[in-house]
Amino acid sequence: MQNVMKRLFNGLVVVLFISLFTFLVIYWIPGDPAAIALGTEASPAQLALVREEMGLNDPFIVQYFNWLVQALTGNLGNSFSFGEEVTILISQRLPVTFALTILSLLISVPLGFVIGTLSALYKDSWFDSLARTLMQLGNATPGFWLGLIAIYFIAYQLGWFPIAGFVPLSEGLWASVHSLMLPAVIMSIGQVGSIIRITRSSVLSALQEEFMLNTQMNALTKTKTLFKYVFRYAATGPITVIGNTAAALFGGTILIEEIFALPGIGRLLMHSVTQRDLILLQGVVIFITTMVVVINLLTDFLVDTVNPARRSA
Amino acid sequence: MKKFMLSTFTLTVGLVLAACGDSEENTGNAESTETNTASETAASEANQELNWALGVDPDGLDPHMTTAASTFQVSNNIYDTLVKVTPEGEYVPGLAENWDVSEDGQTITFYLEEDVLFHDGSDFNADDVVYSFERLQSDSSARSADYASLTEYEALDDYTVEFYTEALDVNLLGKFAYPWAAIVPEDADDELTNSPIGTGPYVLENWVPQQELSLTRYEDYWGEPAHIQTVNFQSMPDTTSQITSMLAGELDVIGITGDLVDQFEGQEGFKITEEPANSLQLMAFNTDHEALADERVRQAITMAVDKDALINTVWYGYGDKIGSHYPPILRGYVDHSESLSYDPDAALELLEEAGYPNGEGIELDMYLPSAYPAYVSAGQVIADYLTDLGITVSIHNVEWAVWLSDIYTARNYDLTVTGHTGRLDPYTLLARYHTDSPENYMNYSNEQVDELLENVQVEQDEAARDEIYAEIQNILAEEVPGFYIQSPIGLRVTKDKLEGLETYPIDIIELKDVHFVE
Repeated sequence: MQNVMKRLFNGLVVVLFISLFTFLVIYWIPGDPAAIALGTEASPAQLALVREEMGLNDPFIVQYFNWLVQALTGNLGNSFSFGEEVTILISQRLPVTFALTILSLLISVPLGFVIGTLSALYKDSWFDSLARTLMQLGNATPGFWLGLIAIYFIAYQLGWFPIAGFVPLSEGLWASVHSLMLPAVIMSIGQVGSIIRITRSSVLSALQEEFMLNTQMNALTKTKTLFKYVFRYAATGPITVIGNTAAALFGGTILIEEIFALPGIGRLLMHSVTQRDLILLQGVVIFITTMVVVINLLTDFLVDTVNPARRSA
Repeated sequence: MKKFMLSTFTLTVGLVLAACGDSEENTGNAESTETNTASETAASEANQELNWALGVDPDGLDPHMTTAASTFQVSNNIYDTLVKVTPEGEYVPGLAENWDVSEDGQTITFYLEEDVLFHDGSDFNADDVVYSFERLQSDSSARSADYASLTEYEALDDYTVEFYTEALDVNLLGKFAYPWAAIVPEDADDELTNSPIGTGPYVLENWVPQQELSLTRYEDYWGEPAHIQTVNFQSMPDTTSQITSMLAGELDVIGITGDLVDQFEGQEGFKITEEPANSLQLMAFNTDHEALADERVRQAITMAVDKDALINTVWYGYGDKIGSHYPPILRGYVDHSESLSYDPDAALELLEEAGYPNGEGIELDMYLPSAYPAYVSAGQVIADYLTDLGITVSIHNVEWAVWLSDIYTARNYDLTVTGHTGRLDPYTLLARYHTDSPENYMNYSNEQVDELLENVQVEQDEAARDEIYAEIQNILAEEVPGFYIQSPIGLRVTKDKLEGLETYPIDIIELKDVHFVE
């Protein structure tokens, strides 16, 4: 329990630190957000008014604490460019990014796990080499490039998926999932490699453990051994990687959402940057950070549950 | 043969997918891969639909609170203005049936259209006009400065409004034609950003920012109703996705750049239209710089660059070469496109005359706004020519926010490439060359130009005004406070069955007249 509290506390410190850090970075970026909002035709009086509205006239530390106090009560402020509460904007975009992340995990995790295990069992076979080559390729290929290729060949030429855009859940579960399928596959290609690698090496090292000798002596079947001992022993690595993958997917949807025109958190972040919508930018960054911290905490707990040896450590 | 097999395969797969999916979405997809048969059948139906890709989302739909072109392209179809403008730049009645301008040009009386209903069912009358202009002048409005000169206005009766300007404004009528001078119902306020209410030919049906915005035809529209029932604007930031969707028949209109013309040229079912724009692009000189203060140096730089090659390289030839601060489609244009034309030898001679033999001793800092890749490329090409002249150029790419504050406002630069958009009235475009203009980021000063700019504001005779504008163009073409490059040509790809999409001298889209033909 003490351990849990400690980790929660650490997570909180990380979030706080990141919020201060982003605030600083935004503060130091050159360029006047008010000028961006008003363009080349603004009068000095209008600029002054907008600066005041945006709270840009206060000293840095005052701006930060005002924001922090509000944020702690769940109010992330109002977006200047949308004229809407940041929390509402995030909650509108969240389902898309969330669904996209879950969908790509559903693709990459089973795939990575199966290929990784087979690779380990048939180490140095043709399958293993092929898997490792493909893994390297998947890791090295930029997602946006793959996305564009997929849009042209798979969505346009073959017509298997809509080219771009998101179909909301209200228009049917299948249509909605279908509209996210191609970007989810593209995102999994980038992630499946690390799952394969860690699964392969975890299973390999489990197979070399001493207790494996016993299973051979007890004449257990290979499958039974695998499921009874190896996976349980080897699970720690893959679970950690899946946690990291989830976090990476969640925070790394910007380009994919731009290309596939999906209204998710990544697009919102992109918009906040180009429009210099600082309050929105700050809100989205903090939200993503918090999500990543939460995912990591959950991963830790999961690892502990699966592998009791870690609990006392 | 291969193609046949591929399309058979596509069709089969499409049908299978459609069969297992049982949703309409899938059926639509399978059909759209089969070229654009879908749109042809749609054309014969009464419930027509237009699909349009938006690269940039509207910055809210409140016409008084933003300066974003992306807003006005949409909002112009939801709201009406008192006066409208034709593609040729003439003023025609809008919500005002007709109008009188007083002898001294300072009072204008509008007689309003009766029996006009707002989208919420309320009656349109003179109070709504007064309210809209009060709102446009309020502190929170983005255009308050432009309308400060309308000092008094009142409703004389339910359908008559009188405006009075303190100073004579020879282009008064234009003020009532811009899409930001839209008429909103009395008492409507902040809610207009997301739920606009106007009198226009289209009603906002649904808007999910960064996803989709759809308009439906307003059946109680006071004028000739729109042809097309539903217009879907799809938010799609990536160009490749836009093009692919267009090719697949999911979109009816997209804007493209010159390099993408090949993708559509010769393709059946599409047409490409060229649209001259009321804007221009230039490399500005900071005339406070010691060398650039000398007009001979500026002329030398102008003659050192092959403008045709520059336009071909950067804009794939889609631009009208200019030689002064004036786009060809604006009334009163004087053709200076061949003045100070490419002549590197003459350029060197001029430099020597100015005391810089072989460009020695001229070091220039060029700032390029990285948000505009074309300006960055143009700057790099120009810098190359200047290096041939012996001038040292250091290029700095800056973010848009930095450009606005450090270059445009604080004027800390020697050279910069940018663009300017014209208005209905040439005055706004040229006013920045007045010595005292806050927008005179070139620090240009010429007494004669100052005087001409002051005179033109009180000259009521249109022909005489055009003469003054011509004179200013001549001076700018001679003294070149900027290296005037081109007036860009916009490119639009549409289905070839789409008609009625006009280009206006202000940045608006008029959806009302758009229709499909058989």
